[in-house]
Amino acid sequence: MSFVCPGCSCLCDDIEIVDGRILHACRRGEEIFEKYKENRAKPMVKGKEVDIDSAIEEATEVLKDSKNTVIYGMDTTTVEAQQLGIELAEKLNAYIDDNSSFCLGEFVEAILRKELPTTTLEDVRDRAYVMVYWGANPFHSLSRHMSRYSYYPRGAKRPRGYEEDRFLVVVDVRRSETAKLAKKNAKFIQVDNDDELVDSFFKVMEGKAAKYAKEAGIILNEMKKSDLNVIFGGLGLKYGLKDLGKFVEMVRKMNEVAPLYFIPAGFHANMRGFNETLFEKTGYVNKYSFKDGKGDVDFAFTSLLQNGKVDTAVIIGTDPVSSLPYDVASKLKEVKTIVIDPRMSPTARVADIIIPSAVSGIEMGGTMVRSDGARIKLEVIEERDVNDIYILKKIEEGL
Amino acid sequence: MALNPMDIYKLLPKTNCKKCGEATCMSFAFKLLNRERKLEECTPLYEDKKYERQRKKLEEMLKPLEEATETGLIVDEGLCTGCGNCVVVCPVHVEKDPKGAAVGKGITIDDPILRVEDGAVKVINMQACRRYGKNRVLCVVCRENCPTDAIRFLEG
Repeated sequence: MSFVCPGCSCLCDDIEIVDGRILHACRRGEEIFEKYKENRAKPMVKGKEVDIDSAIEEATEVLKDSKNTVIYGMDTTTVEAQQLGIELAEKLNAYIDDNSSFCLGEFVEAILRKELPTTTLEDVRDRAYVMVYWGANPFHSLSRHMSRYSYYPRGAKRPRGYEEDRFLVVVDVRRSETAKLAKKNAKFIQVDNDDELVDSFFKVMEGKAAKYAKEAGIILNEMKKSDLNVIFGGLGLKYGLKDLGKFVEMVRKMNEVAPLYFIPAGFHANMRGFNETLFEKTGYVNKYSFKDGKGDVDFAFTSLLQNGKVDTAVIIGTDPVSSLPYDVASKLKEVKTIVIDPRMSPTARVADIIIPSAVSGIEMGGTMVRSDGARIKLEVIEERDVNDIYILKKIEEGL
Repeated sequence: MALNPMDIYKLLPKTNCKKCGEATCMSFAFKLLNRERKLEECTPLYEDKKYERQRKKLEEMLKPLEEATETGLIVDEGLCTGCGNCVVVCPVHVEKDPKGAAVGKGITIDDPILRVEDGAVKVINMQACRRYGKNRVLCVVCRENCPTDAIRFLEG
């Protein structure tokens, strides 16, 4: 029987457990399967251990009294739980946001709005020729991305795999581990400024001179050889670009030369699931306010905390104390915090109310959305009754 | 940190005494590297006091030979992140497991050369490697596509 690894947005579905050994999972995935029983959270209210139902009741009471609530996280839980979380936010007239507001949410939004053409990772494996890792280092963020979906595997129409049937391009500010793999049939472009490369592509297509004209020319010529080329954009690209619109325009224009698609690379297991679920409901992918009925930069979790706009934060399956800057995370102590998390994370340690839940993909089944938008059904190893769905339903009923 | 026969030769007595049965110390150095001979077979190194320092250096130098598998492959599990590039690129795997490793999935055959287990790559069946046996090929694709240099070969 194969399991799905909930470690990152690759959602590898070929993990096997044989005689207690975890096969095929990368180091990050293996840790999740191996250590999911360690460092578990206990139900607590203001530092005192209570039973789970009183913790949920207490949380419900806090939410009843709260005027401005934000629900944050849910990138590591299932789509089904995300739907409940969004319903809860609607009922509370609350703000809702996830990590994608400072991660790759913009790219997912552009894809959902059909501004950026996209494809599936299976198509990439079977047909893609030129693959550009732009500002992404899958070695760190998505260990198995290259070996499972993109550069190395042999595909239906690319039987010789990386040896002859692929052209790898790595764009980064430094010689990353991925860049070291760009050897034969490959190009590594070390950029100081991503906008300059975007500019170079425009100019080369117009036949003008540019800073990266040589590289851009080679890549465009290689792209003409195939009916599917793909850019994997990572956080480096997001923070390197001053204007996403220009990049979108570049992809559109390059499609006149050769078919080119875009897939975001490198984020939490089900971040795209959150974006899609919220987009279906509201038309925005993140930082949404049900009170104002729109999405805005001011409604991002970080801005809400910094501007002191909320009095209660419900943090589900994420760890802002570890991931956000101290200036922002320290503001958490000014609001009431309810943490729903399977683990005793640093955020859980400072929370007013801790509600322990289940690890999705191991103790809870459901659906997650892979980075390319494919919906993957999770398997369960050891079912746990108190999971995100149970907790969120119970809170909603109590309100 | 590749080993080469010249470095080994430099530390041998260089007398061509033939006590080991080889015609020259250079040929003994080659055979040491191929693991066809053992250092102990060079008796002057152990008997003569003046060679003691050289012997100790040689012993240290040849240590990786013992760690390495029969094809000279050394896997440093501490460096491995389990990306599986080596498993997917291996030409033997591609041939034997066209629906598994060849298309990027976890390897499905029972006796693969390499398999990712518990988050790091492990050597399972060295005999299947193209570098094994008499008609060997000096294939290095698994090392070439390792992003962390967790895979090494004795010859570099």
